[in-house]
Amino acid sequence: MAPLMRLASLVFLASLGGGTHAADLPLEYAVKASYLYKFAPFVQWPSTAFDTPTAPLSICIAGSDPFGPALSEAVRGQRVNGHPIVVRRVEAVRPGLTCQILYVGGEDTSAALQAVAHEPILTVTDHNRSGAGGMIQFVMMAGRVRFSIDQAAAQGNGIAISSKLLGLAVSVNR
Amino acid sequence: MNPRRVLRRLMTAIAETPAIGIAIACLLLVASLELAYHNEGQARTDKIRDLTVQARILSASLAGPLAFNDQTAIHEYIDALRASPEFNAVGAYDEHGNLVDGFSRKGEALPRHNLEGSPVVQGDELVMTSPVAQNGAKLGSVYVRAATERWSRRAARYLGIAIVVVMACLLVVVLTAFYASASAANRRLQAEIVGREEAEEALRQAQKMEAMGQLTGGVAHDFNNLLMVASSGMELLDRTTDPVRRERLKDGIRQAIERGAKLTQQLLTFARRSPLSPETVEVGQRIRALQDLFERSLREDVKVEFEFAAGLWPIEVDPSQFDVAILNIAINARDAMPDGGKIKIAAHNYPAGGKTTRDMVRVSIRDSGAGIPPELMEKVFEPFFTTKVVGTGTGLGLSQVYGFVRSSGGEVKIESVAGRGTTVLLLFPRSSQTLPHAPLQTGRMRHAEHDATVLVAEDDEHVAELVSEMLRELGYKSKRGASAAEALRLLEETGPFDLVLSDMIMPGKMNGLELAQEVVRREPGTPVVLMTGYSEAAATAAAEGFPLLVKPYTIEAMGEVLGQALQQH
Repeated sequence: MAPLMRLASLVFLASLGGGTHAADLPLEYAVKASYLYKFAPFVQWPSTAFDTPTAPLSICIAGSDPFGPALSEAVRGQRVNGHPIVVRRVEAVRPGLTCQILYVGGEDTSAALQAVAHEPILTVTDHNRSGAGGMIQFVMMAGRVRFSIDQAAAQGNGIAISSKLLGLAVSVNR
Repeated sequence: MNPRRVLRRLMTAIAETPAIGIAIACLLLVASLELAYHNEGQARTDKIRDLTVQARILSASLAGPLAFNDQTAIHEYIDALRASPEFNAVGAYDEHGNLVDGFSRKGEALPRHNLEGSPVVQGDELVMTSPVAQNGAKLGSVYVRAATERWSRRAARYLGIAIVVVMACLLVVVLTAFYASASAANRRLQAEIVGREEAEEALRQAQKMEAMGQLTGGVAHDFNNLLMVASSGMELLDRTTDPVRRERLKDGIRQAIERGAKLTQQLLTFARRSPLSPETVEVGQRIRALQDLFERSLREDVKVEFEFAAGLWPIEVDPSQFDVAILNIAINARDAMPDGGKIKIAAHNYPAGGKTTRDMVRVSIRDSGAGIPPELMEKVFEPFFTTKVVGTGTGLGLSQVYGFVRSSGGEVKIESVAGRGTTVLLLFPRSSQTLPHAPLQTGRMRHAEHDATVLVAEDDEHVAELVSEMLRELGYKSKRGASAAEALRLLEETGPFDLVLSDMIMPGKMNGLELAQEVVRREPGTPVVLMTGYSEAAATAAAEGFPLLVKPYTIEAMGEVLGQALQQH
């Protein structure tokens, strides 16, 4: 429980420090890590995404990994709809990847996103002006971590996102 | 024991105790308490359900904001509940149970750490927690503390109804208690009324018997004289052949027998046990008819005078009671005149106006006796008050007079001057009824031209012989049966008869009345005439509707009754 507690306190600190400067990178990514697996309960994948009702829900990390072991620690023991959450690192993203959530770190995201463009995978990226963005993009607003959602892209791949999550997004592409 | 009687007794017993009322009242109380308790439980369940729904809505709304740490949204959702005064405290907690946001209006502050559990009532508050989860993933929890209605307020709400229920219960108890005591009192009263009626009846009978006692001496003496006339007359008849003398002797015997018959008839009427049955009578006629009784119950040195005004109004009284009253006053007058004297009985109409508001008939009985001392005047009507020597009077005479006159709606007064005599005044209200017509006298009995056959049922040999003789004299043929059974046998074997004439009291299983009923059943067209010497039997026959010959009767009376009976059939 100790890492969990630590993560929680980091989230708490992040919210408190919303009005100040957001240059603290580790804190920003700690929050992003916790959001990454908290998206799962608000997302409905097509039935083909899972082999069995208890098959693990995989969060794949591609590109640069800003989270380190903290994410794996945080998701330990977490379950969504009976699926245990696991974190995997992926060196090369190819079509047919068996992940439910794919986080592509770094600026160069286009190739990876293109590879899974027709897979039922919820893609998450940081907001960048040059490269292409995922279905969910983290954005920094007033020093706090927020996100925007491309609902149209998700729906195109059979992924339904709860209105609760849509309501919290800073912007939604319908 | 008869089950119906047991049931009736049970019902009476139940009616006379307030137990049922108390039971109903208790039941009412228990039922309303139960209802109140049930309502309380229902209200509490409703409240918990209500709050559960609110908490669930809150936790569903908070799922996103808690998961993604949206402080503004969390605060907005929680603040929305602040508007309702129902919520004393609301808190949102993260997945580790740590307080994120919330408010506490009053009472203790929000717990720093939320412990989830079932709803609990703490004093006046209901505390409830609800998990925040999305698709099986736990995201946090909420804490809600809501005010429940205060005990004092609930009590106040129930107080009004409670007062009504308690009053209703009291009313039921009071009413049934009242009903119970009333029905018990009513039963006692009924019993008392019956007892009193019996006592009054006994008193009236005792009165008659006393008057009878006064009469008996004189009557016995008279009867001996009559018997003397009859027996010596018979003896003399045997010894003489002179037709004129024989005729005179026969006349004397007949007169003696007629007087004897009249005398016994009066005694029987007098002694008859009968309830008060008012009839319309004319005072003058009624008192004149008592002449014979006066002669026998008063001494020879007491003279009775009548003075009745013409056209006296009729009055409505029980005739035999009237006779007893007049006789009682006359006997008192006699006793007030030990050296003889005069009793004057007068009657006249006393029209309304002056002292009375109604038309009355005033009867006065005045003696020339010793008078009543003023100090005793108030006591004379009291029962058992007597100035007579012990053993000669019961002290009931004037109290009978008083009771009778009052129950007839009249008044009684006594005026007395010491040494000059006493006057007893009786006032009776005028009756609106007219006098019943005196029975038509047929005068001479003609010999019947018919040859009807009469079946005579009579156990007494001599009477039967005489009756047959009289029937033959009237032109009837007759056959005699010595008992009811024999008469029925004759009816069957040698019938039909034109008429059955039966004595009422006969030996054997069947009496005359039963024989009469049997004859009517067998031969509905055959008239039946009964004869008897007993007044009570006579009353029974009259009640059954059979014509009656009261012994002793004359040949004329027989002819008339039989003729009528035959005519009617």
